[in-house]
Amino acid sequence: MRMFSVSAVLALLAAGPLQAEEQGRLAFVACPIVQDTPTVPCWLVEYQGKTYYMGIQTDVSAPFNPPSLGHKVLVEGTPTDREICGAQVIEPIRISIIPELSPECDELRMARPGVDLGFDPPRPPGPSRGRLAFDYLDPPPVPQAPFAVRNFTVDYDFEGMVGFRTPRILQPALEYAQQSKASRLEVTGFRGATRLSDGKLLEEHAGIARERAEEIVRMFRGAGLDTEFVIRAGDEAIEGGPENRKVDIRIVP
Amino acid sequence: MQQNGEANANTGRAGRVVLTAALALLAISVATSGRTQEHAGEKPRWWSPGDGATLPELAVYPNASGHLGILNAGGPVDTRGHPFFEPIGTNGRACVSCHQPSDGMSLSVQSIRERWEETQGADPIFAMVDGANCPNLPKDDPASHSLLLRRGLFRIAIPWPPRGADGKPFEPEFDIEVVRDPGGCNTDPVYGLNSPNPTISVYRRPRVVANMEYVVHQNFGVSPFVGKTGEPALRDPETGKPLNMNMMADARVVTLKSQMNDAARSHLEFAGRLTPQQVARIEAFERQVYAAQVDMGAGGSLVEQDGPPGLGPYNLLHGARGVLGNNTTRWVIPMGDAWQSAKPDETAETRRMRESILRGQQIFHFRTFWIRDSMHLNTVGLGNPTKRTCATCHGMHMTGLDTVNGWMDIGTTNLPWAKEAPRNPWQTEDELMPLFKITCRRSAHPHPYLGRVIYTQDPGRALISGRCNDVGTIVMQQFRGLAARAPYFSNGSAGSIRELIDFYDRRYNIQYSDQEKIDLGNFLAAL
Ligand code: HEC
Ligand code: HEC
Repeated sequence: MRMFSVSAVLALLAAGPLQAEEQGRLAFVACPIVQDTPTVPCWLVEYQGKTYYMGIQTDVSAPFNPPSLGHKVLVEGTPTDREICGAQVIEPIRISIIPELSPECDELRMARPGVDLGFDPPRPPGPSRGRLAFDYLDPPPVPQAPFAVRNFTVDYDFEGMVGFRTPRILQPALEYAQQSKASRLEVTGFRGATRLSDGKLLEEHAGIARERAEEIVRMFRGAGLDTEFVIRAGDEAIEGGPENRKVDIRIVP
Repeated sequence: MQQNGEANANTGRAGRVVLTAALALLAISVATSGRTQEHAGEKPRWWSPGDGATLPELAVYPNASGHLGILNAGGPVDTRGHPFFEPIGTNGRACVSCHQPSDGMSLSVQSIRERWEETQGADPIFAMVDGANCPNLPKDDPASHSLLLRRGLFRIAIPWPPRGADGKPFEPEFDIEVVRDPGGCNTDPVYGLNSPNPTISVYRRPRVVANMEYVVHQNFGVSPFVGKTGEPALRDPETGKPLNMNMMADARVVTLKSQMNDAARSHLEFAGRLTPQQVARIEAFERQVYAAQVDMGAGGSLVEQDGPPGLGPYNLLHGARGVLGNNTTRWVIPMGDAWQSAKPDETAETRRMRESILRGQQIFHFRTFWIRDSMHLNTVGLGNPTKRTCATCHGMHMTGLDTVNGWMDIGTTNLPWAKEAPRNPWQTEDELMPLFKITCRRSAHPHPYLGRVIYTQDPGRALISGRCNDVGTIVMQQFRGLAARAPYFSNGSAGSIRELIDFYDRRYNIQYSDQEKIDLGNFLAAL
């Protein structure tokens, strides 16, 4: 297992967050708020006296998965001028549930007249009436020879590890590694940092890059992939957005 | 006091012996269906190991709500020499000892108490290995078997620290201490946590050994990585294929083959491994036996030919395996139109029951409440809390199982929700269940809802995975044959279907009306 330097990557990404900031991008940590409606609940968050809309409850397969009461949420995104549930929509948005507990985050607002989604949610709070919120995609075609080097990227929430979203990436990667009879998998972990709107730098804990890479290797081994793994990780936190919280997987046939 | 009332849901044996008019009705409906010979047992029959009788194609047994049907799709089962029915181990038990046809292929606490009385504790189900709170206790004292006699629980001994797939111990994410040990086994120098073979004893209900094709299906959601946590799924040692991991309270063994070897070794004290012939016969039996309620007494038949498509063992035999039912194109338990209007020959009592069951099915699918702080449900992208229904967790068509990896924490074994005897100067009963203190290590994330210190009566899946966020997660059971097998939940903490509903009402602040509880209860009893 070799270590490699991430400073090159760091330089490359340095310009990113600044640009985003200019476009009104917000990054902050606050308590999420549940606002019920006659259909599914909205998830809101307050920051500097303003109420923002993050998304709604939908389904496991949804692009937006709501956060959790009992925990703070890291919000990274750009406010728009649209309103849902009486709050300003942030879109695109990326949220991360902060792992430590925050019992003070416990606000559930009952449904009341005038607070509405204004649209039919893709998935009602009960069984869907004859439709699924998001179609389950057909499995991708089985990869065929000739096999070339291929890269896959696992992305993470802030301080996140493998979770319910990871199989969507690991599964095609596993399939490709199996079909191509991979001789080697290079698994590189990264550690991110987010510059909050108030100027503070929120860094993932030291060592997470390696922990992530090692965990991904355990996943592949556990799934029966018997090949050589090269684990790499940089220890510096890369300042920027969610894109820096990741593991790159390079599959070498 | 509270505990004495725990499993009084069923009436006494005398009550069960009475043949109701409905049974005659059933006999007619079964006969007219022309699909089987009818067999109307007038008494819930106890199957002793080596009994040698034939289990008919359809065996019907009375229970407090009506009758249960056991359907053998492969025809009558000659139990002579059959490894599920013969005492193949060294303690006189057979598989059937704890998986009784009349009890929905599980074992009700009522049957356990009756066996104690009829045999003065000599029945092999009371074998000291796991039919007592701890093997070192005096055999003839009912107090030595209090967990079994009062809650229907057998001792499950799990080695600690956990072992990986390679059989080697690995470092768990948490430390475990024994806080309370009424059974004495966890602190015992021979059997306990500090013994030469460190072991944790938890106490669990037998599970239904019927409708198993649903339990071990290879359909929706089965994939190399567990959809809720991302971890690699266990794979079938024979085929290498990933498994759905929906068996046993903790999914420690998840194929019928590995399970039966585990059961033979632990429950039957069988030395060595089952022969390939024994394995094949047990598996064939398990894959063809179906269990479901067939009538609700005077409330009427559940198996008329044009009856609801989700009820009765025949519909289980023909149902789609391992598919999601949490939508209106395919319900978890479909009811069809059969009962929408009264039939000419329907009694008023039957009508009332059918309408109640229909309402209960709607409550199950549509009555929303805030599901909160439930590990592996609120953590899979729905948010915490999520406004959903019973069918959200119990989503598999025909069984109410989860389609995959059904371990979740709803608070049945973790404090503060787990049932604990109230302590005060007037309370004479001591709590029966052990209590463990789990401390999650700094190197792991805290449990998202319970933090770093968790008190639990049964760490569940965490004893196998070693993971902090698995503490108290229990693989849900199928919903079938419920009326025949009280008490409920893996630790038997709900003495009746009503107590189970009350648990949910408390746990999620559902605020069911009394009528909603009755309807939901009738629906569950009809399964
Ligand atoms: C002493 C009572 C007892 C005996 C005898 C017994 N079992 Fe069980 N069985 C249990 C208990 C208790 C569980 C649940 C264990 C748990 O959840 O950890 C169980 C669970 C099962 C399950 C899992 C069902 C599911 O859906 O999760 C199967 C299958 C099963 N037993 C088959 C057998 C077979 C086959 C035999 C005979 C070789 C057998 N059992 C003998 C008590 C018994
Ligand atoms: C958050 C997920 C979740 C929700 C919501 C939920 N359940 Fe459960 N259910 C479980 C789990 C997990 C178990 C297994 C618990 C145990 O055995 O300790 C279970 C077990 C059961 C059982 C099986 C009992 C047995 O011993 O065989 C029944 C019946 C049941 N639930 C009914 C309901 C009903 C009715 C509702 C709606 C009020 C409901 N459940 C809502 C997760 C859920």
